[in-house]
Amino acid sequence: MNDHLPPRTFFLLTTVGFCAFFAVWALAAASGLVPQLFLPSPLAVAHTFGELTQRPFVGYTLQQHLASSFGRFGMGFGLAVAVGVPLGLAMGWFRWLDHIVTPLFDALRFVAPIAWVPFAALWFGTGIGGPVLVIFTGAFPPCVINTYRGARYVEQRYIEAARTLGAGSWLVITEVLLPASLPSVVAGLRISAGLGWQSLIGAELIVASSGIGYLMVKGQSNISTAIVMSGMIAIGIVGFAIDILLRALERYFQRR
Amino acid sequence: MASGFGGDSRNGARSRTAVGVATFSALAALWYWATVATQAISPAFFPNPAEVFSAARQISIDGYADSKLLGHFLHSCKLVLFGFAAAVAIGVPLGMLMGWSRRAEALLNPTFLLLRPIPPLAWIPLAIVWLGLGDAAKVLVIWFAAFVPAVINSYAGVRSIEPYLIEAARTLGVPRGMLVREVLVPGALPLIFTGLRLSLQACWTTLVAGELIGAIAGLGHVLYQAGLDLYPAMIVVGMASVAVAGVLMTWALEWLEAYSMPWRSA
Amino acid sequence: MFRFIRNLVLGAAFTAGAAAAHAQALTEIKVSYQPALYWSLPFYVATEKGWWGELGLKATFSTFPAGVPQIAASASKSWDVGGTGSVPAVLGAVRYNLLTIGLTNDESVGNALMASKTAADSVLKNPQSLKGQTIVLTANSTGDYAVQSCLGKWGLKKSDVTIKSMGQAEIISAMSSNNADYGGLWAPNIYTLEEKVGARVICSGKDAGAIVPGALVVRADYAKEQPENVAKFLAIYLRTWRWMNAHRPEAIAMMGKFYEIGGVTISEASMRKEFDTRPTYDLAGQLKIMNRGAGASDVDKWMTQIAEFMKSGGTMPEVPPASRYVTDDYMKMVDRDPKLKAFANNPN
Repeated sequence: MNDHLPPRTFFLLTTVGFCAFFAVWALAAASGLVPQLFLPSPLAVAHTFGELTQRPFVGYTLQQHLASSFGRFGMGFGLAVAVGVPLGLAMGWFRWLDHIVTPLFDALRFVAPIAWVPFAALWFGTGIGGPVLVIFTGAFPPCVINTYRGARYVEQRYIEAARTLGAGSWLVITEVLLPASLPSVVAGLRISAGLGWQSLIGAELIVASSGIGYLMVKGQSNISTAIVMSGMIAIGIVGFAIDILLRALERYFQRR
Repeated sequence: MASGFGGDSRNGARSRTAVGVATFSALAALWYWATVATQAISPAFFPNPAEVFSAARQISIDGYADSKLLGHFLHSCKLVLFGFAAAVAIGVPLGMLMGWSRRAEALLNPTFLLLRPIPPLAWIPLAIVWLGLGDAAKVLVIWFAAFVPAVINSYAGVRSIEPYLIEAARTLGVPRGMLVREVLVPGALPLIFTGLRLSLQACWTTLVAGELIGAIAGLGHVLYQAGLDLYPAMIVVGMASVAVAGVLMTWALEWLEAYSMPWRSA
Repeated sequence: MFRFIRNLVLGAAFTAGAAAAHAQALTEIKVSYQPALYWSLPFYVATEKGWWGELGLKATFSTFPAGVPQIAASASKSWDVGGTGSVPAVLGAVRYNLLTIGLTNDESVGNALMASKTAADSVLKNPQSLKGQTIVLTANSTGDYAVQSCLGKWGLKKSDVTIKSMGQAEIISAMSSNNADYGGLWAPNIYTLEEKVGARVICSGKDAGAIVPGALVVRADYAKEQPENVAKFLAIYLRTWRWMNAHRPEAIAMMGKFYEIGGVTISEASMRKEFDTRPTYDLAGQLKIMNRGAGASDVDKWMTQIAEFMKSGGTMPEVPPASRYVTDDYMKMVDRDPKLKAFANNPN
């Protein structure tokens, strides 16, 4: 936006940022200020991480746990997007829908996904519906909010201009509303993915026998901070990958 | 305009409230019909209005989970406000900086992106180890949850400002400080407030997670205890209380938003 | 030629049909338990030994990290039979009509109040020093029951201490990082803390005079629909304990594997302690403790004490009569059927 950095410099600085993070961590751990239990060194964690990919812990390897978690996440997030984005757009367009849905929504979105876990257990038992419900409650709000606000704040004049040119409602929606709200929508997707991923872990901490959240609880029970942090790193990596994908999507739409 | 954008007229606001009330009433009626009149939903799966009412009475008058409803409510609000304030104070400037300067973005983004997807719940083991079982650990967990949307939306907000506005200000020789105050902040404000709304929501939803760390009062504690007791009626009371608290805080936030962006029709 | 092909096809169809019919001969039964626990070990062992199939059952398992979600899931019929702690069993009886049909073990020694290395000595010398302290435990669990029984033994009231509720994993975290000095835990978490941070058991359920049983449970609907399967399930469980008690070293090896799958690594000495300190009951033993010949049975009394504990904690408004949810009908079924009885008493 401001200083246009050549891509190489950007990459270099990003790498510096990465290294700085690990350097600070390693220093904090090595300084002996905190016991090993509180903050294992990056090397210790890396070693544990590697082990977890080779040897199963609580039944599966790290990758298998991740895959299990990701599957649940995919279903919940997909559902949230499929329902949330159209709903947000519709709410931005049709005032009456906004009036009906918003009060409900404003109330429900403060309820933690994790609070739904007892109901998820009650209604779905051991089925996948349980975690999907919990993720959905987490991922749904940002999709709707950001889409809705994106649609709402589209400049009036764009809409009016399109209309004066004779565009019908459908065209206005697809050619003006949607592209103009897209930055907000994708920002919403990014947040939604983050929240959805978090809600999954929350659900897994309570009702699961596989998955990365489960792995972390078991690591905690074993007083292995290294396992807990390996879990956090794994979560971070997957979340990072999801975010990269969404940013690429964002750039694609910006180019259009 | 049937599908209008732009200001809520007086009539608009009134009709909005009316529809809201009507929706809730319709839902309440549906709830009663499904659980009591037809017993389509058995009490094991979802409590009926009478059960929820008696649970509400219990917690307001006799107390539940070591405190009465008001005590839980105040305790939670305190934690949420601390976490929210800390998240906003750090997150908004950080996000704006990252949106403004590619250099800052390049340096800071890796750390942010690495830490961002880690769920607040996942910080609990470390929070307990670092900060113990007191309020500090809970606020840390809540802070972390609220921090992320604040940064992302502030970043998006700055990025969304039309470049020509910045160029115009530059050509006019506007000094840095004024540029930030008069161009950047107002330009980014809509998305910043979107971020704040989400941060506030994140605070409340993480509260339940935070209060897994040995709370002795709070709405999250109520929800946790009710979950352990398999007391769905109390869970509903807890959820409703959280919803009310969240809505009240959002109204305050919305007032602040309208106050700071008078040029935007609400 | 045509006839040949026809016969071939008919023969294949017939064989396939017979195979399908034979496969259906194994009735499915959904079993639930919590992983890496002493009393759920038999489910693992029985599967390894193939004993389900011997009685015509095919067991599918669902595991839960704690008793509460386990019994919540019974509401949607996700499982039919299983084992759980006695506190969740009572809760399940009150909320979702779960019947207690036997005991998994006597885990009075396996549920205890522990203190960190630094705090242990002073508490052991003078338990009254607990006044005003914070105890972390998992509410509505056998651990909770043990701790409160201990407090009662020392004449301390619940209001004399601050109780904070959280999951076992959080308790372990807090106690191992010196953020909590006192906690209520159950085995094998007790051994994890002992071995890894030197925490000590101050008072177990047994020390406090409270019997903490583990329960075998079944959904009331399922028990009515499929009583024979319930009896078979009991027979398999009983046989597994017989075998494990008769083949201790092998059992311990399997325990190691089972615990590892559940994410618990404790020393072999601790594993042996589990076997040594937690009595189990064979068929005759179960019948004896559930016998209502002289009024309420032992199991009735123990479960009712637990129900009273839960009532005093505000979880339930009333204490349900044990006769409503504790039943020895299915143990008696095993006893009456000579084949099942022999199966259940088989130590091999």
